[in-house]
Amino acid sequence: MLELVNISYKTNEREILSDISMKFLPGYKYAIIGTNGAGKSTIGYVIMGLSAYKPYKGRILLDKSDITDLSVSERAKLGITLMWQEPARFEGMTIETYLTLGGKLNVQKSEVIEAMEFVGLNPALYLKRFVDKTLSGGERKRVELASIVLLKPNYVILDEPDSGIDLMSLNIINDVVNYVAQYGGTPIIITHREEMAYNTDYGYLICAGKILFNGTTNDVLKAFRGTCEVCEHPNLPRSEEMK
Amino acid sequence: MDVKREFETIIKTAEKLGTDASNFMDKRIASIIISGNRVIGLNNVQGLKIVPTTLEDGVQVDMEIEENTQIPFPIHVCTGYLEKRGYQRVIFNIRVRRNAKVKFTAHCVFPQAEEFTHDAISNVVIEDGAMMEYNDEHYHSDQGTIILKTTTNTVVENNGVYKNAFHLTKTRVGKLDVKMYLTLKENAVGELLSKVKASKNDEVDINEILYLNGEKAKGLAKTIVVGLDESRVTVLNEAYGNAPYSRAHISCEEVTKGEKVIVSTTPILKITNDLAELTHEASIGRVGEKQLETLMSKGLSEEEATDLIIKGLLI
Repeated sequence: MLELVNISYKTNEREILSDISMKFLPGYKYAIIGTNGAGKSTIGYVIMGLSAYKPYKGRILLDKSDITDLSVSERAKLGITLMWQEPARFEGMTIETYLTLGGKLNVQKSEVIEAMEFVGLNPALYLKRFVDKTLSGGERKRVELASIVLLKPNYVILDEPDSGIDLMSLNIINDVVNYVAQYGGTPIIITHREEMAYNTDYGYLICAGKILFNGTTNDVLKAFRGTCEVCEHPNLPRSEEMK
Repeated sequence: MDVKREFETIIKTAEKLGTDASNFMDKRIASIIISGNRVIGLNNVQGLKIVPTTLEDGVQVDMEIEENTQIPFPIHVCTGYLEKRGYQRVIFNIRVRRNAKVKFTAHCVFPQAEEFTHDAISNVVIEDGAMMEYNDEHYHSDQGTIILKTTTNTVVENNGVYKNAFHLTKTRVGKLDVKMYLTLKENAVGELLSKVKASKNDEVDINEILYLNGEKAKGLAKTIVVGLDESRVTVLNEAYGNAPYSRAHISCEEVTKGEKVIVSTTPILKITNDLAELTHEASIGRVGEKQLETLMSKGLSEEEATDLIIKGLLI
């Protein structure tokens, strides 16, 4: 189980996350929902341990072991990974090299091809393409989804996986999310779109860096519709709305 | 060393850069192989005239591609020096006649050099509507004591196309001084690309200069340098917009790894015609954090991620 315990994070003296506590169980699908600027992506970055996202308070536990001070690589080796909303581009690096991490990932070429086909990338056309600016946003995201299929992480944070992609690709995202859950992994989808959250079991509703509500995804979405979507003071939660 | 062994040694080294040795035996493929101040291999093909002249300290090569000719395979140029000490001067005078098309694959191999200076001067004229691509790759000894000076003066006439790529990424550099002057006339298109990996105490100076002298001329000067250890890298890229609707972009990416690396980049843009448009971009410093953390989030260490990113940059 991956657990955030009373996590608080600030940058430039501005509080971005306040006292966040979350639990993610193996094999379940989670959604972190909220409007733009609520702090959803920051939660993902804190879990991954990105260098600019060290919490000033709280702990992150993985199977009860404290991983708060571990590096990104160390967390990845424990099975945590992150798909960025805007994945990085790499000049001169082929998709094949990227997916196999330059040969460091112990996978056969046939597995790479299978993973690419799974996410709708024709290997004949894409294997030798560079992971650079010549890929469209949607193509780049598919490469990232193929990477998840190959890595088989225990916990994968998908930050706004649907941004900048077509409707057809939504099915592919859901297929990858289901694939992860089927082998006992935990997909955590960060989104502000209801459609993206439908395919999850549990959710956290975030507002202004605080948890406004949590429960089954259906309940969280109801709360989202009832509070956030009609809210006249976004990211300024009032005490009566905190449940 | 006899000619046969020289030939074999040079070709074997060139193979390390990815060249296919059989190309030098293929009569359909034009080639010239220089060792020291001797030409040890030469093959002309139809539409091409390669005339080498031996100099006291090197070789001069006059090359002409006939009008309206398309040379079907890249011309292979291999320049080698197999002694440990010495000086080599090579002068290439290349003229691509009207509407001709040609590509070059060039390798410079100095596998054993210790105290050695290689001085290369290329004078290139691309006539109206002609096209030329020149891909130059170097293989140096690991001594880091080679001095390499290379100057290219290219004029691209109206509607001509010229692309030049210089790679020194697989071995030590030594001291490198690259100067590329590119003059573009009306509607001409020109691209200069340099990729260099400097390590230990290598010293690199690169100066790419674009003169946009013809209306609607288009130019690109791009430099990618990786500076490691205690290397020193200086890049100066310049573009001069002297004609209406001419456009150029200069780009320099310098990636560093090592506390003692010294790198600098200076772009110079100057317009003498207010309808010209020049842009530049430059980055300098360590590998981008997002790139690094993306690969680290997949399980690579910082070191492994950096190496993989650098490898890609230098392809």
